[in-house]
Amino acid sequence: MAAIPKEKPSRVDQARAEFARYKADVKSRGKPFYPYAMFHDTIMSLVVVFTIIGLAVIWKWTSTGPVPHDPTHKGLLGPVVDPPADPGTTSFVPRPDWYFYFLFYLLRIFKWPESVFLGTVGVPTIALILLIMLPFLDRRRVRKPSQRPVAMVAAVLTIISMGVLTWKGATAQEALASEVKANIPRWKAQEHLPPAAYPGVQLFATAGCTACHTYDGAGGQNLGAPDLTNIGSKNLGVQFQINHLKCPSCVNPGSPMPSFASLGDERLKQLALFLEASKGTH
Amino acid sequence: MATTHRRKPTKAEIRRQKMEAAVLYPIDWLEERSGLIGGLRYFLFRNVPSDVNWMQTLGSAALTAFLVQAITGVILAMYYVPSATTDPHTGQPVAWESIVNISDHLTLGWLVRGMHRWGASVFIILMFLHMGRVFLFGAYKYPRELNWVIGVLILVMGMMEGFTGYLLPWDQTAYWATVVGINLNGTAPFLGPWLAQFLRGGQEISGYTLTRFYSLHMLVIPGAIIALITLHLYLVIRLGVTSPPWSKDAAGGEPEEEEEPSQLRPGLTRPVPRPSGASAMQTEPGGRE
Repeated sequence: MAAIPKEKPSRVDQARAEFARYKADVKSRGKPFYPYAMFHDTIMSLVVVFTIIGLAVIWKWTSTGPVPHDPTHKGLLGPVVDPPADPGTTSFVPRPDWYFYFLFYLLRIFKWPESVFLGTVGVPTIALILLIMLPFLDRRRVRKPSQRPVAMVAAVLTIISMGVLTWKGATAQEALASEVKANIPRWKAQEHLPPAAYPGVQLFATAGCTACHTYDGAGGQNLGAPDLTNIGSKNLGVQFQINHLKCPSCVNPGSPMPSFASLGDERLKQLALFLEASKGTH
Repeated sequence: MATTHRRKPTKAEIRRQKMEAAVLYPIDWLEERSGLIGGLRYFLFRNVPSDVNWMQTLGSAALTAFLVQAITGVILAMYYVPSATTDPHTGQPVAWESIVNISDHLTLGWLVRGMHRWGASVFIILMFLHMGRVFLFGAYKYPRELNWVIGVLILVMGMMEGFTGYLLPWDQTAYWATVVGINLNGTAPFLGPWLAQFLRGGQEISGYTLTRFYSLHMLVIPGAIIALITLHLYLVIRLGVTSPPWSKDAAGGEPEEEEEPSQLRPGLTRPVPRPSGASAMQTEPGGRE
Protein backbone atom coordinates (compact mmCIF):
# COMPACT_ATOMS: atom_id res chain seq x y z
CA MET A 1 0.00 0.00 0.00
CA ALA A 2 2.52 2.52 1.08
CA ALA A 3 6.22 2.39 0.69
CA ILE A 4 6.69 4.70 3.64
CA PRO A 5 6.59 2.67 6.88
CA LYS A 6 3.49 3.76 8.72
CA GLU A 7 3.38 5.01 12.30
CA LYS A 8 2.59 2.26 14.75
CA PRO A 9 -1.22 2.08 14.94
CA SER A 10 -2.81 3.16 18.21
CA ARG A 11 -3.76 0.56 20.81
CA VAL A 12 -7.46 0.92 20.04
CA ASP A 13 -6.82 0.44 16.34
CA GLN A 14 -4.70 -2.62 17.06
CA ALA A 15 -7.43 -4.07 19.25
CA ARG A 16 -10.06 -3.40 16.59
CA ALA A 17 -7.89 -4.97 13.91
CA GLU A 18 -7.30 -8.00 16.08
CA PHE A 19 -11.02 -8.46 16.70
CA ALA A 20 -11.79 -8.10 12.98
CA ARG A 21 -9.12 -10.75 12.34
CA TYR A 22 -10.71 -12.94 15.01
CA LYS A 23 -14.16 -12.64 13.40
CA ALA A 24 -12.72 -13.50 9.99
CA ASP A 25 -10.73 -16.44 11.35
CA VAL A 26 -13.71 -17.90 13.20
CA LYS A 27 -15.87 -17.56 10.11
CA SER A 28 -13.32 -19.11 7.76
CA ARG A 29 -11.83 -21.88 9.89
CA GLY A 30 -13.96 -22.22 13.01
CA LYS A 31 -16.30 -25.10 13.65
CA PRO A 32 -20.03 -24.94 14.29
CA PHE A 33 -21.15 -24.72 17.91
CA TYR A 34 -23.54 -27.61 17.30
CA PRO A 35 -22.52 -30.39 17.56
CA TYR A 36 -18.85 -29.83 18.49
CA ALA A 37 -18.75 -27.35 21.39
CA MET A 38 -22.25 -28.29 22.45
CA PHE A 39 -21.14 -31.89 22.92
CA HIS A 40 -18.52 -30.83 25.48
CA ASP A 41 -21.00 -28.48 27.16
CA THR A 42 -23.56 -31.27 27.45
CA ILE A 43 -21.09 -33.71 29.01
CA MET A 44 -19.94 -31.08 31.50
CA SER A 45 -23.53 -30.18 32.37
CA LEU A 46 -24.34 -33.83 33.03
CA VAL A 47 -21.29 -34.05 35.31
CA VAL A 48 -22.58 -30.97 37.18
CA VAL A 49 -26.11 -32.35 37.61
CA PHE A 50 -24.85 -35.74 38.80
CA THR A 51 -22.39 -34.10 41.19
CA ILE A 52 -25.26 -32.12 42.73
CA ILE A 53 -27.43 -35.24 43.00
CA GLY A 54 -24.48 -37.12 44.50
CA LEU A 55 -23.96 -34.43 47.16
CA ALA A 56 -27.69 -34.49 48.02
CA VAL A 57 -27.59 -38.28 48.36
CA ILE A 58 -24.43 -38.26 50.52
CA TRP A 59 -25.95 -35.51 52.70
CA LYS A 60 -29.11 -37.53 53.30
CA TRP A 61 -27.63 -41.01 53.65
CA THR A 62 -24.66 -40.27 55.88
CA SER A 63 -26.66 -38.03 58.20
CA THR A 64 -29.13 -40.80 58.96
CA GLY A 65 -27.38 -42.63 61.77
CA PRO A 66 -28.22 -46.07 63.16
CA VAL A 67 -30.39 -44.39 65.80
CA PRO A 68 -33.08 -42.19 64.20
CA HIS A 69 -32.88 -38.47 65.02
CA ASP A 70 -29.64 -38.83 66.96
CA PRO A 71 -28.43 -35.21 67.30
CA THR A 72 -24.78 -36.19 67.71
CA HIS A 73 -24.71 -38.00 64.34
CA LYS A 74 -23.82 -35.34 61.80
CA GLY A 75 -22.85 -37.21 58.66
CA LEU A 76 -20.21 -36.21 56.14
CA LEU A 77 -21.92 -32.99 55.07
CA GLY A 78 -23.53 -31.94 58.32
CA PRO A 79 -27.00 -32.60 59.72
CA VAL A 80 -30.00 -32.36 57.39
CA VAL A 81 -32.05 -30.45 59.97
CA ASP A 82 -30.64 -28.21 62.71
CA PRO A 83 -32.61 -27.30 65.83
CA PRO A 84 -35.21 -24.58 65.20
CA ALA A 85 -34.32 -20.91 65.59
CA ASP A 86 -34.83 -19.70 69.11
CA PRO A 87 -34.22 -15.99 69.65
CA GLY A 88 -34.26 -16.58 73.41
CA THR A 89 -31.45 -19.12 73.44
CA THR A 90 -28.11 -17.51 72.97
CA SER A 91 -25.97 -20.65 73.02
CA PHE A 92 -25.33 -20.66 69.30
CA VAL A 93 -22.43 -20.98 66.92
CA PRO A 94 -22.88 -18.37 64.20
CA ARG A 95 -21.48 -20.01 61.11
CA PRO A 96 -22.20 -18.86 57.58
CA ASP A 97 -22.11 -21.00 54.48
CA TRP A 98 -18.54 -21.92 53.52
CA TYR A 99 -18.20 -19.37 50.73
CA PHE A 100 -18.52 -16.57 53.27
CA TYR A 101 -15.77 -17.96 55.51
CA PHE A 102 -13.14 -15.73 53.88
CA LEU A 103 -15.23 -12.67 54.67
CA PHE A 104 -15.84 -13.80 58.25
CA TYR A 105 -12.22 -14.59 58.83
CA LEU A 106 -11.15 -11.25 57.42
CA LEU A 107 -12.64 -9.73 60.57
CA ARG A 108 -9.95 -11.29 62.70
CA ILE A 109 -7.22 -9.42 60.89
CA PHE A 110 -8.59 -6.05 61.94
CA LYS A 111 -8.67 -4.74 65.45
CA TRP A 112 -12.01 -4.32 67.12
CA PRO A 113 -13.71 -1.97 67.26
CA GLU A 114 -11.65 0.86 65.75
CA SER A 115 -10.91 -0.55 62.32
CA VAL A 116 -13.48 -3.35 62.17
CA PHE A 117 -15.35 -1.66 59.37
CA LEU A 118 -12.29 -2.26 57.18
CA GLY A 119 -12.81 -5.98 57.63
CA THR A 120 -16.58 -6.00 57.34
CA VAL A 121 -17.01 -3.58 54.46
CA GLY A 122 -13.80 -1.74 53.56
CA VAL A 123 -11.53 -4.46 52.17
CA PRO A 124 -14.33 -6.49 50.51
CA THR A 125 -15.67 -3.36 48.80
CA ILE A 126 -12.25 -2.32 47.54
CA ALA A 127 -11.61 -5.87 46.30
CA LEU A 128 -14.95 -5.92 44.51
CA ILE A 129 -14.33 -2.57 42.84
CA LEU A 130 -10.91 -3.75 41.67
CA LEU A 131 -12.48 -6.94 40.31
CA ILE A 132 -15.14 -5.03 38.38
CA MET A 133 -12.57 -2.55 37.08
CA LEU A 134 -10.11 -5.26 35.95
CA PRO A 135 -10.70 -4.87 32.18
CA PHE A 136 -10.16 -1.12 32.50
CA LEU A 137 -7.03 -1.47 34.64
CA ASP A 138 -5.38 -4.08 32.43
CA ARG A 139 -5.71 -2.71 28.92
CA ARG A 140 -2.73 -4.36 27.28
CA ARG A 141 -3.64 -6.58 24.37
CA VAL A 142 -1.45 -9.59 25.19
CA ARG A 143 -3.40 -12.61 26.35
CA LYS A 144 -0.69 -15.26 26.86
CA PRO A 145 -0.22 -15.89 30.60
CA SER A 146 3.57 -15.91 30.10
CA GLN A 147 3.41 -12.32 28.86
CA ARG A 148 1.26 -11.10 31.77
CA PRO A 149 3.48 -11.71 34.81
CA VAL A 150 1.87 -8.99 36.97
CA ALA A 151 -1.64 -10.25 36.33
CA MET A 152 -0.64 -13.85 36.98
CA VAL A 153 1.18 -13.07 40.24
CA ALA A 154 -1.78 -10.97 41.40
CA ALA A 155 -4.16 -13.81 40.57
CA VAL A 156 -2.06 -16.42 42.38
CA LEU A 157 -1.77 -14.18 45.46
CA THR A 158 -5.53 -13.57 45.44
CA ILE A 159 -6.29 -17.28 45.16
CA ILE A 160 -3.82 -18.15 47.92
CA SER A 161 -5.11 -15.49 50.31
CA MET A 162 -8.75 -16.37 49.70
CA GLY A 163 -7.93 -20.05 50.08
CA VAL A 164 -6.06 -19.46 53.33
CA LEU A 165 -8.85 -17.26 54.72
CA THR A 166 -11.47 -19.88 53.78
CA TRP A 167 -9.39 -22.68 55.29
CA LYS A 168 -8.75 -20.71 58.47
CA GLY A 169 -12.45 -19.93 58.71
CA ALA A 170 -13.34 -23.59 58.20
CA THR A 171 -10.94 -24.83 60.87
CA ALA A 172 -11.37 -21.99 63.36
CA GLN A 173 -11.99 -23.21 66.86
CA GLU A 174 -15.67 -23.43 67.68
CA ALA A 175 -16.99 -23.21 71.18
CA LEU A 176 -19.61 -25.71 72.30
CA ALA A 177 -21.20 -24.71 75.58
CA SER A 178 -20.57 -28.18 77.01
CA GLU A 179 -16.82 -27.93 76.34
CA VAL A 180 -16.53 -24.34 77.48
CA LYS A 181 -18.14 -25.15 80.84
CA ALA A 182 -15.24 -27.45 81.65
CA ASN A 183 -13.00 -24.38 81.84
CA ILE A 184 -14.91 -22.70 84.67
CA PRO A 185 -12.83 -24.05 87.61
CA ARG A 186 -9.62 -23.10 85.82
CA TRP A 187 -10.91 -19.60 85.10
CA LYS A 188 -11.93 -19.09 88.71
CA ALA A 189 -8.44 -20.03 89.87
CA GLN A 190 -6.36 -18.25 87.25
CA GLU A 191 -8.35 -15.03 87.21
CA HIS A 192 -8.78 -15.01 91.01
CA LEU A 193 -12.48 -14.39 90.54
CA PRO A 194 -14.35 -13.23 93.65
CA PRO A 195 -17.43 -15.28 94.65
CA ALA A 196 -19.64 -12.41 93.43
CA ALA A 197 -18.53 -13.28 89.90
CA TYR A 198 -19.40 -17.00 90.17
CA PRO A 199 -22.97 -16.78 88.81
CA GLY A 200 -21.63 -14.61 86.01
CA VAL A 201 -18.91 -17.04 84.95
CA GLN A 202 -21.53 -19.80 84.75
CA LEU A 203 -23.71 -17.61 82.52
CA PHE A 204 -20.73 -16.53 80.45
CA ALA A 205 -19.93 -20.13 79.59
CA THR A 206 -23.48 -21.10 78.68
CA ALA A 207 -25.20 -18.01 77.26
CA GLY A 208 -23.33 -18.04 73.98
CA CYS A 209 -20.71 -15.34 74.69
CA THR A 210 -17.93 -17.79 73.78
CA ALA A 211 -19.43 -18.41 70.35
CA CYS A 212 -17.70 -15.22 69.25
CA HIS A 213 -15.39 -14.23 72.12
CA THR A 214 -12.35 -15.98 73.46
CA TYR A 215 -11.56 -16.08 77.15
CA ASP A 216 -8.29 -17.39 78.51
CA GLY A 217 -7.66 -19.63 75.52
CA ALA A 218 -11.21 -21.00 75.22
CA GLY A 219 -14.05 -19.85 73.00
CA GLY A 220 -14.80 -19.44 69.32
CA GLN A 221 -12.53 -17.71 66.88
CA ASN A 222 -14.88 -17.58 63.91
CA LEU A 223 -15.69 -13.93 64.18
CA GLY A 224 -12.59 -12.65 65.87
CA ALA A 225 -14.55 -10.76 68.50
CA PRO A 226 -12.29 -9.21 71.20
CA ASP A 227 -10.63 -11.45 73.76
CA LEU A 228 -12.25 -10.87 77.14
CA THR A 229 -9.55 -12.32 79.41
CA ASN A 230 -8.50 -8.83 80.42
CA ILE A 231 -11.70 -6.88 79.92
CA GLY A 232 -11.97 -5.97 83.62
CA SER A 233 -8.68 -4.07 83.62
CA LYS A 234 -10.27 -1.45 81.37
CA ASN A 235 -12.46 -0.54 84.39
CA LEU A 236 -15.43 0.29 82.21
CA GLY A 237 -17.84 -0.11 85.10
CA VAL A 238 -20.69 -2.52 85.82
CA GLN A 239 -23.34 -0.15 84.44
CA PHE A 240 -21.43 0.24 81.17
CA GLN A 241 -21.23 -3.55 80.82
CA ILE A 242 -24.98 -3.89 81.40
CA ASN A 243 -25.80 -1.17 78.88
CA HIS A 244 -23.42 -2.70 76.39
CA LEU A 245 -24.95 -6.16 76.74
CA LYS A 246 -28.43 -4.71 76.27
CA CYS A 247 -27.60 -2.79 73.12
CA PRO A 248 -23.99 -3.12 71.95
CA SER A 249 -24.26 -0.72 69.02
CA CYS A 250 -25.84 2.00 71.19
CA VAL A 251 -22.75 2.10 73.41
CA ASN A 252 -20.22 1.16 70.79
CA PRO A 253 -21.38 2.51 67.41
CA GLY A 254 -20.93 0.05 64.58
CA SER A 255 -20.58 -2.99 66.82
CA PRO A 256 -21.98 -6.10 65.11
CA MET A 257 -22.59 -7.87 68.44
CA PRO A 258 -26.21 -8.96 68.93
CA SER A 259 -28.27 -7.73 71.89
CA PHE A 260 -28.41 -9.89 74.99
CA ALA A 261 -31.29 -7.96 76.59
CA SER A 262 -33.38 -11.16 76.58
CA LEU A 263 -31.28 -12.48 79.50
CA GLY A 264 -33.03 -10.07 81.87
CA ASP A 265 -31.65 -7.43 84.23
CA GLU A 266 -30.59 -9.74 87.03
CA ARG A 267 -28.55 -12.04 84.86
CA LEU A 268 -27.07 -9.13 82.92
CA LYS A 269 -25.81 -7.73 86.22
CA GLN A 270 -24.24 -11.09 87.07
CA LEU A 271 -22.50 -11.15 83.71
CA ALA A 272 -21.33 -7.55 84.16
CA LEU A 273 -19.88 -8.35 87.59
CA PHE A 274 -17.98 -11.26 86.12
CA LEU A 275 -16.64 -9.18 83.22
CA GLU A 276 -15.51 -6.41 85.55
CA ALA A 277 -13.77 -9.00 87.75
CA SER A 278 -11.83 -10.43 84.80
CA LYS A 279 -8.49 -8.69 85.29
CA GLY A 280 -6.45 -11.19 83.34
CA THR A 281 -4.51 -14.30 84.38
CA HIS A 282 -1.75 -13.79 86.90
CA MET B 1 -37.16 -39.17 -19.35
CA ALA B 2 -39.28 -36.43 -17.89
CA THR B 3 -42.35 -38.55 -18.36
CA THR B 4 -40.98 -41.28 -16.12
CA HIS B 5 -40.46 -38.70 -13.39
CA ARG B 6 -43.88 -37.27 -13.88
CA ARG B 7 -45.51 -40.46 -12.68
CA LYS B 8 -48.16 -39.99 -10.10
CA PRO B 9 -46.77 -39.89 -6.55
CA THR B 10 -47.70 -42.94 -4.54
CA LYS B 11 -50.08 -42.65 -1.64
CA ALA B 12 -47.19 -43.09 0.80
CA GLU B 13 -45.33 -40.20 -0.80
CA ILE B 14 -48.35 -37.93 -0.60
CA ARG B 15 -48.85 -38.77 3.05
CA ARG B 16 -45.21 -38.04 3.70
CA GLN B 17 -45.39 -34.67 1.98
CA LYS B 18 -48.47 -33.74 3.97
CA MET B 19 -46.77 -34.75 7.17
CA GLU B 20 -43.73 -32.62 6.38
CA ALA B 21 -45.91 -29.65 5.54
CA ALA B 22 -47.84 -30.10 8.80
CA VAL B 23 -44.64 -30.22 10.83
CA LEU B 24 -43.02 -27.32 9.04
CA TYR B 25 -46.07 -25.07 9.04
CA PRO B 26 -45.90 -23.94 12.70
CA ILE B 27 -42.13 -23.52 12.45
CA ASP B 28 -42.49 -21.35 9.36
CA TRP B 29 -45.37 -19.48 10.99
CA LEU B 30 -43.22 -18.70 14.03
CA GLU B 31 -40.20 -17.75 11.96
CA GLU B 32 -42.21 -15.42 9.72
CA ARG B 33 -43.68 -13.61 12.70
CA SER B 34 -40.72 -13.55 15.12
CA GLY B 35 -37.47 -14.60 13.50
CA LEU B 36 -36.86 -16.84 16.51
CA ILE B 37 -36.13 -19.95 14.44
CA GLY B 38 -33.47 -18.08 12.51
CA GLY B 39 -32.05 -16.87 15.81
CA LEU B 40 -31.94 -20.41 17.17
CA ARG B 41 -30.33 -21.63 13.97
CA TYR B 42 -27.72 -18.88 14.24
CA PHE B 43 -27.08 -19.82 17.86
CA LEU B 44 -26.59 -23.50 17.08
CA PHE B 45 -24.67 -23.28 13.84
CA ARG B 46 -22.56 -20.17 14.41
CA ASN B 47 -18.87 -20.92 14.25
CA VAL B 48 -16.69 -21.03 17.33
CA PRO B 49 -12.89 -21.13 17.16
CA SER B 50 -11.71 -24.61 16.22
CA ASP B 51 -9.40 -24.81 19.24
CA VAL B 52 -11.93 -24.22 22.07
CA ASN B 53 -10.99 -26.05 25.19
CA TRP B 54 -12.68 -28.10 27.92
CA MET B 55 -12.09 -25.20 30.32
CA GLN B 56 -14.52 -23.21 28.20
CA THR B 57 -17.43 -25.42 29.28
CA LEU B 58 -17.35 -23.90 32.78
CA GLY B 59 -19.69 -21.07 31.85
CA SER B 60 -22.38 -23.38 30.54
CA ALA B 61 -21.77 -25.64 33.54
CA ALA B 62 -22.51 -22.69 35.84
CA LEU B 63 -25.64 -22.00 33.80
CA THR B 64 -26.70 -25.62 34.31
CA ALA B 65 -26.16 -25.28 38.06
CA PHE B 66 -28.31 -22.14 38.02
CA LEU B 67 -31.07 -23.98 36.15
CA VAL B 68 -30.93 -26.76 38.76
CA GLN B 69 -31.35 -24.07 41.44
CA ALA B 70 -34.27 -22.52 39.57
CA ILE B 71 -36.12 -25.81 39.11
CA THR B 72 -35.53 -27.20 42.61
CA GLY B 73 -36.30 -23.73 44.02
CA VAL B 74 -39.69 -23.64 42.32
CA ILE B 75 -40.52 -27.08 43.74
CA LEU B 76 -39.38 -26.09 47.25
CA ALA B 77 -41.47 -22.90 47.07
CA MET B 78 -44.56 -25.09 46.65
CA TYR B 79 -44.06 -26.68 50.07
CA TYR B 80 -42.03 -24.19 52.08
CA VAL B 81 -43.92 -21.80 54.37
CA PRO B 82 -42.04 -18.56 55.14
CA SER B 83 -43.56 -18.00 58.55
CA ALA B 84 -41.74 -17.49 61.82
CA THR B 85 -44.91 -17.87 63.88
CA THR B 86 -45.13 -20.78 66.28
CA ASP B 87 -47.27 -23.77 65.42
CA PRO B 88 -49.73 -24.00 68.38
CA HIS B 89 -49.77 -27.81 68.20
CA THR B 90 -46.06 -28.48 68.26
CA GLY B 91 -44.59 -25.25 69.61
CA GLN B 92 -42.12 -25.12 66.72
CA PRO B 93 -41.70 -22.34 64.14
CA VAL B 94 -43.81 -23.02 61.04
CA ALA B 95 -40.98 -22.36 58.56
CA TRP B 96 -38.70 -24.86 60.31
CA GLU B 97 -41.51 -27.43 60.41
CA SER B 98 -42.12 -27.08 56.67
CA ILE B 99 -38.42 -27.82 56.07
CA VAL B 100 -38.64 -30.92 58.27
CA ASN B 101 -41.75 -31.93 56.35
CA ILE B 102 -39.93 -31.53 53.01
CA SER B 103 -36.90 -33.48 54.26
CA ASP B 104 -38.65 -36.31 56.10
CA HIS B 105 -42.12 -36.84 54.67
CA LEU B 106 -42.38 -35.51 51.13
CA THR B 107 -41.65 -38.02 48.34
CA LEU B 108 -38.11 -37.23 47.19
CA GLY B 109 -38.34 -33.98 49.13
CA TRP B 110 -34.92 -34.72 50.68
CA LEU B 111 -33.47 -34.98 47.17
CA VAL B 112 -34.95 -31.68 45.96
CA ARG B 113 -33.86 -29.86 49.11
CA GLY B 114 -30.43 -31.52 49.05
CA MET B 115 -29.94 -30.55 45.42
CA HIS B 116 -30.91 -26.96 46.18
CA ARG B 117 -28.68 -26.84 49.27
CA TRP B 118 -25.60 -28.27 47.56
CA GLY B 119 -26.36 -26.92 44.10
CA ALA B 120 -25.81 -23.48 45.63
CA SER B 121 -22.23 -24.37 46.54
CA VAL B 122 -21.63 -25.96 43.13
CA PHE B 123 -23.01 -22.83 41.42
CA ILE B 124 -20.68 -20.57 43.41
CA ILE B 125 -17.65 -22.82 42.76
CA LEU B 126 -18.39 -22.99 39.03
CA MET B 127 -18.77 -19.21 38.81
CA PHE B 128 -15.38 -18.76 40.48
CA LEU B 129 -13.76 -21.35 38.18
CA HIS B 130 -15.36 -19.74 35.13
CA MET B 131 -14.03 -16.37 36.24
CA GLY B 132 -10.58 -17.91 36.71
CA ARG B 133 -10.70 -19.33 33.18
CA VAL B 134 -11.69 -15.96 31.71
CA PHE B 135 -8.85 -14.34 33.64
CA LEU B 136 -6.31 -16.94 32.53
CA PHE B 137 -7.34 -16.54 28.88
CA GLY B 138 -7.28 -12.74 29.12
CA ALA B 139 -10.77 -12.98 27.66
CA TYR B 140 -11.96 -9.89 29.55
CA LYS B 141 -10.02 -7.64 27.18
CA TYR B 142 -11.41 -5.60 24.31
CA PRO B 143 -14.18 -5.98 23.21
CA ARG B 144 -15.42 -8.13 26.10
CA GLU B 145 -14.93 -5.72 29.05
CA LEU B 146 -18.65 -5.25 29.57
CA ASN B 147 -19.26 -8.98 29.81
CA TRP B 148 -16.66 -9.27 32.58
CA VAL B 149 -18.50 -6.57 34.55
CA ILE B 150 -21.83 -8.38 34.04
CA GLY B 151 -20.21 -11.65 35.14
CA VAL B 152 -18.90 -10.11 38.36
CA LEU B 153 -22.39 -8.75 39.06
CA ILE B 154 -23.84 -12.25 38.57
CA LEU B 155 -21.26 -13.61 41.03
CA VAL B 156 -22.24 -10.97 43.61
CA MET B 157 -25.93 -11.72 43.08
CA GLY B 158 -25.20 -15.44 43.48
CA MET B 159 -23.53 -14.80 46.83
CA MET B 160 -26.51 -12.67 47.88
CA GLU B 161 -28.72 -15.64 47.03
CA GLY B 162 -26.54 -17.70 49.37
CA PHE B 163 -26.91 -15.15 52.16
CA THR B 164 -30.69 -14.76 51.85
CA GLY B 165 -31.35 -18.47 51.32
CA TYR B 166 -29.33 -19.47 54.37
CA LEU B 167 -31.92 -17.98 56.76
CA LEU B 168 -34.98 -19.67 55.25
CA PRO B 169 -34.80 -23.01 57.18
CA TRP B 170 -35.14 -20.84 60.31
CA ASP B 171 -32.81 -23.02 62.38
CA GLN B 172 -30.33 -21.97 65.05
CA THR B 173 -27.24 -21.82 62.83
CA ALA B 174 -29.05 -19.85 60.15
CA TYR B 175 -30.74 -17.51 62.60
CA TRP B 176 -27.61 -16.51 64.47
CA ALA B 177 -25.40 -16.39 61.38
CA THR B 178 -27.93 -13.96 59.91
CA VAL B 179 -28.07 -11.89 63.10
CA VAL B 180 -24.32 -11.44 62.90
CA GLY B 181 -24.30 -11.10 59.10
CA ILE B 182 -26.83 -8.26 59.19
CA ASN B 183 -24.93 -6.59 62.01
CA LEU B 184 -21.77 -6.78 59.91
CA ASN B 185 -23.60 -5.02 57.05
CA GLY B 186 -24.61 -2.43 59.59
CA THR B 187 -21.00 -1.40 60.21
CA ALA B 188 -20.72 0.15 56.73
CA PRO B 189 -20.45 3.93 56.84
CA PHE B 190 -23.55 5.97 55.89
CA LEU B 191 -25.61 3.23 54.23
CA GLY B 192 -24.84 0.50 56.78
CA PRO B 193 -27.42 1.19 59.49
CA TRP B 194 -30.08 1.84 56.87
CA LEU B 195 -29.22 -1.42 55.06
CA ALA B 196 -29.31 -3.42 58.29
CA GLN B 197 -32.68 -1.91 59.17
CA PHE B 198 -34.02 -2.69 55.70
CA LEU B 199 -32.82 -6.32 55.80
CA ARG B 200 -34.24 -6.91 59.27
CA GLY B 201 -37.54 -5.18 58.52
CA GLY B 202 -37.32 -3.54 61.93
CA GLN B 203 -35.05 -3.20 64.92
CA GLU B 204 -34.93 -6.91 65.69
CA ILE B 205 -34.71 -9.95 63.45
CA SER B 206 -38.24 -11.36 63.20
CA GLY B 207 -40.87 -12.90 60.95
CA TYR B 208 -40.62 -9.78 58.80
CA THR B 209 -36.94 -10.56 58.22
CA LEU B 210 -37.89 -14.04 57.06
CA THR B 211 -40.56 -12.90 54.56
CA ARG B 212 -38.23 -10.17 53.33
CA PHE B 213 -35.39 -12.62 52.76
CA TYR B 214 -37.83 -15.02 51.08
CA SER B 215 -39.00 -12.33 48.68
CA LEU B 216 -35.43 -11.26 47.90
CA HIS B 217 -34.30 -14.86 47.55
CA MET B 218 -36.98 -16.06 45.15
CA LEU B 219 -38.16 -12.95 43.32
CA VAL B 220 -35.81 -9.99 43.32
CA ILE B 221 -32.35 -11.54 43.08
CA PRO B 222 -33.27 -14.44 40.74
CA GLY B 223 -35.02 -11.94 38.47
CA ALA B 224 -31.86 -9.85 38.37
CA ILE B 225 -29.71 -12.95 37.78
CA ILE B 226 -31.90 -14.12 34.88
CA ALA B 227 -31.75 -10.68 33.27
CA LEU B 228 -27.98 -10.51 33.72
CA ILE B 229 -27.45 -14.06 32.39
CA THR B 230 -29.54 -13.20 29.31
CA LEU B 231 -27.37 -10.15 28.68
CA HIS B 232 -24.22 -12.19 29.38
CA LEU B 233 -25.20 -14.86 26.83
CA TYR B 234 -26.23 -12.26 24.27
CA LEU B 235 -22.78 -10.73 24.47
CA VAL B 236 -21.08 -14.15 24.34
CA ILE B 237 -22.94 -14.96 21.12
CA ARG B 238 -22.40 -11.51 19.65
CA LEU B 239 -18.69 -11.28 20.44
CA GLY B 240 -17.76 -14.96 20.27
CA VAL B 241 -15.57 -17.00 22.58
CA THR B 242 -11.81 -16.61 22.55
CA SER B 243 -9.24 -19.15 21.50
CA PRO B 244 -6.86 -20.34 24.21
CA PRO B 245 -4.11 -17.71 24.13
CA TRP B 246 -1.37 -20.33 23.81
CA SER B 247 -3.04 -22.00 20.84
CA LYS B 248 -0.80 -22.29 17.76
CA ASP B 249 -3.54 -21.10 15.43
CA ALA B 250 -5.62 -18.97 17.74
CA ALA B 251 -8.41 -17.13 15.97
CA GLY B 252 -7.39 -13.49 15.66
CA GLY B 253 -3.77 -14.28 16.42
CA GLU B 254 -0.97 -12.20 14.97
CA PRO B 255 -0.74 -12.91 11.28
CA GLU B 256 2.51 -14.54 10.22
CA GLU B 257 5.14 -11.85 9.69
CA GLU B 258 3.95 -10.08 6.59
CA GLU B 259 6.39 -10.90 3.87
CA GLU B 260 6.15 -7.50 2.29
CA PRO B 261 7.78 -7.20 -1.05
CA SER B 262 11.00 -6.16 0.49
CA GLN B 263 13.67 -3.89 -0.80
CA LEU B 264 16.17 -6.42 0.45
CA ARG B 265 16.73 -9.59 -1.46
CA PRO B 266 15.41 -12.68 0.29
CA GLY B 267 18.06 -15.00 1.57
CA LEU B 268 20.51 -12.32 2.52
CA THR B 269 19.15 -10.58 5.60
CA ARG B 270 15.68 -12.07 5.70
CA PRO B 271 14.66 -15.70 5.60
CA VAL B 272 13.31 -17.04 2.38
CA PRO B 273 9.50 -17.03 2.56
CA ARG B 274 8.48 -20.64 2.68
CA PRO B 275 5.26 -21.68 1.04
CA SER B 276 3.43 -23.24 3.92
CA GLY B 277 -0.12 -24.50 3.93
CA ALA B 278 -0.83 -23.33 7.44
CA SER B 279 0.25 -19.76 6.94
CA ALA B 280 -1.29 -19.61 3.52
CA MET B 281 -4.69 -20.04 5.13
CA GLN B 282 -4.35 -16.83 7.05
CA THR B 283 -3.12 -14.63 4.29
CA GLU B 284 -5.00 -16.28 1.47
CA PRO B 285 -6.36 -13.38 -0.53
CA GLY B 286 -9.31 -15.40 -1.78
CA GLY B 287 -10.33 -16.41 1.73
CA ARG B 288 -13.82 -15.43 2.76
CA GLU B 289 -13.97 -12.40 4.94
